[in-house]
Amino acid sequence: MKEFISRLRNTFLLILIMCLAFCISLLISNIFDNESLIPAIMMLAVFIISLVTKGYRYGVIASLISVLAVNYAFTFPYFRFNFTMSENLVSAIIMIIVTMITGTLATKLRNQDALKAESEMERMRANLLRAVSHDLRTPLTTIYGSSSTILDNYDVLSDEQKQKMLLGIREDSEWLMRMVENLLSVTRLDSDNVKLIKSPTVLDELIDSVIVKFRRKYPDKPIVLTLPEEFTIISIDAMLIQQVLFNILENAISHAKGMTQIEFKVYLRDKNAVFEISDDGCGIPKERLKTIFSGLYTGEIIPSDTKINSGIGLSVCSSIIKAHGSVISAENNEKGGATFRFALETENENNE
Amino acid sequence: MNNKYKILLIEDERNIQTFVTAMLEADGYKVISAHNCGNGKMLFSSHNPDLVILDLGLPDGDGMEVLKYIRATSPVPVIVLSARSDESDKVLALDMGANDYITKPFGSAEFLARVRTALRNFRRIDENSKFVLDNLIIDYDARTVMIDEKVIKLTQTEYNIIALLSQHCGKVMTYSAIITAIWGYNDIGSIKKLQVNMANIRKKFGVVPGSDSYITNELGVGYKMNMAE
Repeated sequence: MKEFISRLRNTFLLILIMCLAFCISLLISNIFDNESLIPAIMMLAVFIISLVTKGYRYGVIASLISVLAVNYAFTFPYFRFNFTMSENLVSAIIMIIVTMITGTLATKLRNQDALKAESEMERMRANLLRAVSHDLRTPLTTIYGSSSTILDNYDVLSDEQKQKMLLGIREDSEWLMRMVENLLSVTRLDSDNVKLIKSPTVLDELIDSVIVKFRRKYPDKPIVLTLPEEFTIISIDAMLIQQVLFNILENAISHAKGMTQIEFKVYLRDKNAVFEISDDGCGIPKERLKTIFSGLYTGEIIPSDTKINSGIGLSVCSSIIKAHGSVISAENNEKGGATFRFALETENENNE
Repeated sequence: MNNKYKILLIEDERNIQTFVTAMLEADGYKVISAHNCGNGKMLFSSHNPDLVILDLGLPDGDGMEVLKYIRATSPVPVIVLSARSDESDKVLALDMGANDYITKPFGSAEFLARVRTALRNFRRIDENSKFVLDNLIIDYDARTVMIDEKVIKLTQTEYNIIALLSQHCGKVMTYSAIITAIWGYNDIGSIKKLQVNMANIRKKFGVVPGSDSYITNELGVGYKMNMAE
């Protein structure tokens, strides 16, 4: 079906552009009484067709049509096909060759663009993989090291020591869990065939799930919540958007130094629900602001033994929001702290 | 007779089996372990456990098959363990009669809470004609709902939903299970109808998002009435 539509569209474009070119040619040959411009106009038409349609088939068809049209209407004898005059024949052949080459070139140009996008994707994936394998090593060291220490020296170690190491194990496995969640989302977004599983989600329920989960984990971090009164439904992949919101909230906890409270606001603007999460912490350094969503590993040197929450969380957020057809932005507040913002289209129409 | 509930754990990963067993035994339960479908079915029939914890990915078949086997003969509570995939697995398991699901990885506190809930739920079926959760009271005979001694005015449908959820409290009810029970049929607009009704109920109950209240939203799956601890 999709193929049929694209074929229909291409054919339509072909006919439209050829007709246009033909009319212009007629007009010009009437005004200037001169045919030298005609092949150039036809060539232009063929070039445009090769650019806007897929594959070279339409370009070749267009070039054939243009050769016939020029032969028929604009070379002596007028309004009659004549391939016997040798100069007509030669000009026709040249035209076919030229148009075919242009068509091929245009197709190549298009392919190159696609190739470029793909290699960009590949590069991002490689970056991510590097980042992850780097980040996994630290918590794994803790988990492996601590557990084997406890096992090997069970009787020697004091209870306090054992408890401390066990706490370390738990903490680092929690961190690993978070990382794996994020990675799962990224791979889900990257693979071409897997699409978002969108379902109509009630805004209140979405926020409720996020906040409940958040309060369970950080019971003493205050969140000020503002939601629209209206019953609002958004068509989203709820699991992924939940993760975006959770990532941003958690980010504020671990990175906004001096933060005393988080403000979580959702408001309706036109047909969109705007999500805004701001903190009153230390804000984001200017030089980080630009690359904050693109993954951290952009050539900076990282001390190899620190565990950085890699910005993977935020780059995941960015890809999830992008997959929903929107963008996420970050900025520093005037009063201090940072604000993350994105908008999603609602299905509000007020019918109950 | 209240103590030493017998729990059948059907899980093939040895490490998970070890720590879940340790966790449950430390909490005073008796644990029977099976590591595949066949073994699980056999132990279920011979031991008649009070609760089954079932991993969905088993070496010799699908855990769903065990669930079907159990449900053919017994209403015993079943908790399903699943690796995070999409919701459809969970919905399927719940619709096939599982009481709850836990996503791997999980911690001990959450796990034990679910076990307690599932066991308690099973015990209290038609205990009396009232449901009590904190300051929420549902009187099934009078068909009224009260919060803080004040009667909440609900429509027929809203009351039916609340009654249904409370009768299955502690268990996640999938959207389609609720819809079929309330309206008898299930079409495209039904989920939205349910969502609107739930929104009205929340408003009448005066609950604010994020305040771990009476009803838990399981996004994309369904709703669950919480239980008094």
